[in-house]
Amino acid sequence: MAQTSGRFNRLARFGAVAMVLAFVIPLAGLAWGALRVPGEAAGVAFSSTALVPFSRSLAVALTASSLAAILGTASAWLISRSDIPGRRLIAVLVNLPLVIPSFVGAFALRFAFGQGGLIPAIPRFDGFVGAAIALTLFSFPYVTLPVLARLSVAPPAIEESARMLGSGPVTIFKDAVWPQIRPAVWSGSMLVFLYSLSDFGAVSIMRYDTVTRVIFSSRLSSPSTALTLGLLLAVTAIVADSLTRRRTARYRKSSADAVVTYPLLVWRWPAVAAMWLVIGLGLIAPLLAFGAWWIRGAGASGDGLAGMVQGLGDLVSPLLNTAMAGGVSAVVAAALLIPLGREAGRGTLLGKLGSRAAAATYALPGILAALAVVFVVVRAPGPIFVFYQTFPLLVAVYVVNFGAYSVRTTADAVASMPAVYPEMASTLGAGPAKRFFTIELPLLGPAIAAGGGLVLLSVLKELPATLLLAPIGFDTLATRIWDATGEGFLADAGLASLVLVVLSGVLTWSLVLRNPTIRTVRISARKDS
Amino acid sequence: MNGGARRAPSRTLGFVLLVAWAVVAAACGGSPDALVVYSGRSEALISPLIEEFEASSGVDVEVRYGSSADLALLIAEEGDRSPADVFISQSPGATGFLAEAGMLAKLPGAVLELTEERFSSAGGFWVGISGRIRVLVYNEDLIDPATLPDSVLDLADPRFDGMVGVAPANGSFQDFVTAMRQTVGEPVTAQWLSGMADNESPTYASNSAIVEAVGRGEIPLGLVNHYYNFRALAEDPGAASVNYYFPASDVGSLIIVTAAGVTAPSDRSEDAVRLISYLLDEDAQTVLTEETFEYPLARGIAPWSGLPDLNLVDGLTYNFDRLGSELAATRRLIESNGLTGP
Repeated sequence: MAQTSGRFNRLARFGAVAMVLAFVIPLAGLAWGALRVPGEAAGVAFSSTALVPFSRSLAVALTASSLAAILGTASAWLISRSDIPGRRLIAVLVNLPLVIPSFVGAFALRFAFGQGGLIPAIPRFDGFVGAAIALTLFSFPYVTLPVLARLSVAPPAIEESARMLGSGPVTIFKDAVWPQIRPAVWSGSMLVFLYSLSDFGAVSIMRYDTVTRVIFSSRLSSPSTALTLGLLLAVTAIVADSLTRRRTARYRKSSADAVVTYPLLVWRWPAVAAMWLVIGLGLIAPLLAFGAWWIRGAGASGDGLAGMVQGLGDLVSPLLNTAMAGGVSAVVAAALLIPLGREAGRGTLLGKLGSRAAAATYALPGILAALAVVFVVVRAPGPIFVFYQTFPLLVAVYVVNFGAYSVRTTADAVASMPAVYPEMASTLGAGPAKRFFTIELPLLGPAIAAGGGLVLLSVLKELPATLLLAPIGFDTLATRIWDATGEGFLADAGLASLVLVVLSGVLTWSLVLRNPTIRTVRISARKDS
Repeated sequence: MNGGARRAPSRTLGFVLLVAWAVVAAACGGSPDALVVYSGRSEALISPLIEEFEASSGVDVEVRYGSSADLALLIAEEGDRSPADVFISQSPGATGFLAEAGMLAKLPGAVLELTEERFSSAGGFWVGISGRIRVLVYNEDLIDPATLPDSVLDLADPRFDGMVGVAPANGSFQDFVTAMRQTVGEPVTAQWLSGMADNESPTYASNSAIVEAVGRGEIPLGLVNHYYNFRALAEDPGAASVNYYFPASDVGSLIIVTAAGVTAPSDRSEDAVRLISYLLDEDAQTVLTEETFEYPLARGIAPWSGLPDLNLVDGLTYNFDRLGSELAATRRLIESNGLTGP
């Protein structure tokens, strides 16, 4: 028995170290590229051409993450705790804006609401306001999903007691719910913050000049400028990660029980209106724009219905590629990052290092993350280089780029796990492997699934790494959308975007929201109590 | 779950993983016989030609699509291990970057001679495939074309305050400014850029975003390459955007070439050259001009009937090779004159 436990712990430690290396090595490549010429990097980073756009990046990222924190928390609470009408439908739809690639989503928003658009409501839908709105709408589910996962295992007993003691809903939320979900809200908002820093699509379409624009416009003419600014984003992410970690206090130990729902009473219809406004802006408006492009283009080409059907047929193979890339990456990330997530949740040095490195690779614009991986792999010996531009390496790149989701959600769940169960099991003589598989894993299930779900949704729309590192000819819906948008083939872009949203809806619903582990936990926890 | 039961499976697992690795590595290598193209030209614009070439030549071709700049960076990073045999670029800046990096091989004289001499690199590293003309796209509901100036330099005039959309981070705008520096000189270019910045000319991410904004009436004017508006009209014949061509003698009406070259590490240079020659063949050039509304560059091919004669719009000559080497200086000039934006 002792030997098994040693082996299990060694294996877990090895898994964590391997993933830390996977995050750190590309960063080291980036840093080497940026710092190759001594002194040059400092000159770039502290010049006004970098600092002014960088301060704009920070401003829009802070705004979007604050708005997303509010929207994400409210939507998750309404879905899991209130009697809002149509909550199942809302639960699926409210998360879907996440899968719309920001460049085409922002373009669609301007097409929908800008001057001469479908509903010309906002004459100049751009700049800081446009970028903040677009980034919030297309990223707030990064908050909703982890908070939902947290609420699904938070003990309603506390809320129930508070209610019986006569507390109003606001007090219950403040005293009983907020302490439970606070780490998830912080984590989700941090992801929105980092996502907004790394985004180029929405900010460029909204004509808001951020540091990613400097990276893009200098990547050929002055690669060291681009790399240095990438490093600046990575360092910002590391600082942000260390700040939020400290704010993530340990919270109440929990097990799950029957779910409590609160009647919204007079707030019922305002809540419904607010949710549908968000869904309308973040999902339905872009969908209308995509549909309008598709129908208009099919009309103009003269191919009519046959052309539209043909267009759909051409998307079958990108659709399958997209689903496979997303599904495999989500499972691999969720599974491989459990050990590192546990280390991070326990606050070990290795865990902190891994969590920060994951945040740093996540904050890089995709093109730099991809080039950093290329930098490493082309210098690697043959047995590693054979994977260059193959599916396994592509999955590895996705996992490195988006692994921050899995690390954070798992770490938060580990930090909140009631220590009493493993202790009891330990007293009864269960080894670490048995304790992990029978007690920890079921309790961590919803969080691991939520992290994997976020990886899935991000991979579905990923573009730069897919373009550079996918096996040749492996086109995804995102690459199709990009290819078509660049040259103004809006009909094709609209159709591919519609298909992407539908695919994501199906996958989100079946893999994340209907997750069987959530039910398992409830049953097993009830048995325990 | 006792110790003995777990030890054996872990060895088996190791073995299975090793076999899986070998299978996956073998399966994912792609077709080793295929000619590999990295194309900055979009799939929609070139894949029919590639298929035609495969059918007529019997050569298997695999294409990686991406932005010209990203693919150029990728090839430079891959170095000797680059799988790419051919690089097809949308922007001379990206081609020039690779030529400077020593990543393009010299093309045979027979290929270079397929176009006029000025449409290929002096060092023989790339050859032009198609041409785009810089134009001013305007919204016909908002602008009377009679009021449009004879020179692009006049757009820096205060009367065009806030009216002209530009894409300063985009390769084609940067290429245009490099060409401008060569033809009218550094001081005039700098003055024009700072005038455009003082006018708070709205900046956009791309040519197609500008054409779309002009079509909707968000802005009345935009500086772009000519063919985007034909694409926009093919999608939405009701759009109000119209191309205005500056006179051939004006720096506003420059031709920008898209180019192709063979990568230096390629061991398939014969087939690579065949593909490039095919792209300059009469059939391929006709498809390029009829389907994508670009100017054919091979000698003796007439442009699509909707385009003005090349002589009417292309009067100034400049050195395309310098579009790559001058890119950094151009970017500094654009930014130091305050014309920053996505």
